[in-house]
Amino acid sequence: MSDISRRTLLSGSALLLASTAMPTLGWAQTPKKGGRLVLAADSEPRNLNPAIVASNGVFFISSKIVETLAEASFDGKDGLEPRLALSWEGAADGLSVTFKLRDGVKWHDGKPFTSADVAFSALQIWKPLQNLGRTVFKDLSAVDTPDDLTAVFKFAKPTPFQLIRNALPALSSVVPKHIYEVGKIEENPANNAPIGTGPFKFGEYKAGQYYKLTRNADYWGKDEPYLDEIIYQVLPDRTSAAAALEAEEIQLAAFSAVPLADLDRISKVPGLKVISKGYEGLTYQLVVEINHRRKELADVKVRQAIAHAIDKDFVVKTVFLGYAATATGPVPKNDPQFYTADVPTYAFDVAKGNALLDEAGYAKADDGKRFALKLLPAPYFNETKQFGDYLRQALAAIGIDAEIVNNDSPAHIKAVYTDHAFDLAVGPPVFRGDPAISTTILVQSGVPDGVPFSNQGGYKNAALDALIAKASETLDTTARTDLYKQFQKEVAADLPLINVAEWSFISVARETVGNIANNPRWAVSNWADTYLAG
Amino acid sequence: MSPLRRFLRRPEAAAGAIILGVLFAMALFASLLFPGDPQAIAGPALLPPFQDWSLPLGTDRLGRDVLAELFHGARTSLAVGLGAAAAALFIGAVVGTLAGFAGDLVDEVLMRITDAFQTVPSFLLALAFVSVVGPSLGVVVAAIALGAWTGPARVARAEVLSIRERDYVAGARVIGMHPLAIAFREVLPNALPPVLALSSVIVAAAILTEAALSFLGLGDPNRVTWGGMIAEGRTVLRTAPFLSIIPGIALVLTVLGIYLAGEGVVETTAVRRSLS
Repeated sequence: MSDISRRTLLSGSALLLASTAMPTLGWAQTPKKGGRLVLAADSEPRNLNPAIVASNGVFFISSKIVETLAEASFDGKDGLEPRLALSWEGAADGLSVTFKLRDGVKWHDGKPFTSADVAFSALQIWKPLQNLGRTVFKDLSAVDTPDDLTAVFKFAKPTPFQLIRNALPALSSVVPKHIYEVGKIEENPANNAPIGTGPFKFGEYKAGQYYKLTRNADYWGKDEPYLDEIIYQVLPDRTSAAAALEAEEIQLAAFSAVPLADLDRISKVPGLKVISKGYEGLTYQLVVEINHRRKELADVKVRQAIAHAIDKDFVVKTVFLGYAATATGPVPKNDPQFYTADVPTYAFDVAKGNALLDEAGYAKADDGKRFALKLLPAPYFNETKQFGDYLRQALAAIGIDAEIVNNDSPAHIKAVYTDHAFDLAVGPPVFRGDPAISTTILVQSGVPDGVPFSNQGGYKNAALDALIAKASETLDTTARTDLYKQFQKEVAADLPLINVAEWSFISVARETVGNIANNPRWAVSNWADTYLAG
Repeated sequence: MSPLRRFLRRPEAAAGAIILGVLFAMALFASLLFPGDPQAIAGPALLPPFQDWSLPLGTDRLGRDVLAELFHGARTSLAVGLGAAAAALFIGAVVGTLAGFAGDLVDEVLMRITDAFQTVPSFLLALAFVSVVGPSLGVVVAAIALGAWTGPARVARAEVLSIRERDYVAGARVIGMHPLAIAFREVLPNALPPVLALSSVIVAAAILTEAALSFLGLGDPNRVTWGGMIAEGRTVLRTAPFLSIIPGIALVLTVLGIYLAGEGVVETTAVRRSLS
């Protein structure tokens, strides 16, 4: 670190300040207008409509174009700050939520944004079509629009306001009614060239090369956005992002586009900074998915033995190089509302794992093996694949012979979530701020075949199902939170799946990029205040 | 001078033979020197080479012994190389002999099939085959053989075309031998030497193809392969280049060794023929 110049050190600390104390900034560094931000994109989603496909790959690009009702915030009330909605209030009976909308907002084609757009998006897209909205908004029956700036969501059954609130940042992308009301929503050309209210307009997309977003001069935010253009340079090869940063071809690589093993080296390159903030609301969980149709795995003792065989500290230290935390259960430790540490835990103890398997009646054969399993590591991340390699070794230590089966993404999703052709799988589900959004579905029974990132292991536990159902209709925030703490305990005790670690992403940027990581979902937020200095 | 001594007097052939010998020794003694699973975690992760003498070549990202992986990888590479070459030579010799000996329609049909296989790049063929059937050692061998048998088939056919006109073949016909028996007992053995001369090229190509398949993630994930080691090392290329370089060097030396030894054999036999 000795070769860092005084200037870089100073500008670095100013940026650090900017990232932690953004709202009261002003005096520290005035954001500069203009400039083109070039960053690495590692995937090319075809459908860019975040109202239909609520996933980080889509948000990464389209959250700059299409805005949500509210965004996550480090210090806002309930962890939220207003976007298209200025306020939100839930009725005591849980049957309605009232949104007051922002005035003077225009769509990119010049038409005014009104409550009709919110009503249309909620009823026609979020509830019937969106991957996550299907669960959260399942009881949404109507959206009343008494005036252009008020939208009242009506629910057929009491729906916890806490859930709706927690769902706003990821699930409430509003798309224009006048564009989507003609023709089939899924086939609308705006899905590939989105029209929204955000600080940037969709420019163009060249397959295999780049996405271009251009400044929206009519944006509602005062003086925002600062950037003229955002270019997403498609760099599918993870090793090339670091080289491109060093060559100053790109200024930002988010979502850990730079491999973890390279971070130590790149943090010493003058002019680059490594930032681990700005992903607090996007926690990925490293999970061992279990097929309970296998008779061995249906035995809780076998599952406990597997849990004891995994050295979580080793996984965090070696696979994630320290950029992760060990997990205790289905809610990550960094969640401020629901997490409880008061759950059964499984210390790394190979002897105990072996003893549990002996107890379960699966004695070691002469070759030291008890039974064989098929292990399918998800191919999405280097870390999930590496953990697959580690898990195979960990299982060998307790006499389980795991055979790794590698697939590409579509084949993996089909094998695990549709065909159930696996015994163990390694999956990276995402925790989205509320267990009811995408976590309870991992263990709940009765999920139809083919729904990715859901319980496809055939696990059935009536008591746990009842608990999930009860929590989903409990309106009182404290009581609901307690039910989810109970849920964590029961999942950790019965192990329908094994939570191993929790991780987020790392951004590497040139020091000229300002206002990075100033909210918990920064990489997938609208970047209206991002700027390029000097 | 015995053929062996003549062979060993060529320096490049001797070098090739030594490399091959080392490779076979590595493959043979892999489980003796490194018993147990080579993919077992043996030490701290990313240990550089020549630091700890119990792990002389260091460890990879999970802490697996690179030297043990290299030895067991030699096994996979040789198995795939020899297996694929044997399969390709067998298919090629049979197809070529049938086509050359039967002539007419059979020849036309078999040679057009050969053409069809030859027009598809063999690596793409292997890639497609493995991604459809699923990666395992047998499948990889079959996939490589699938793209490699056409060369031997053409050479065998050309040889058979000249041999079938020889007197002893006519003699065999006269004494009433079954045509298939003539083809495979009388003609094929004599057509084999030039076909076998292709084997070194095929083995070398097969080892490279297997490495490329593993590099792309289509190797058998439950086995150590050099291509897989290079692919895994690639993610940490800037911080731990030895993880890619070591198996890379092994691969280069192996292919070079096989090629040199193969050339040596061909040239020695050519000298012997011209002497006789």
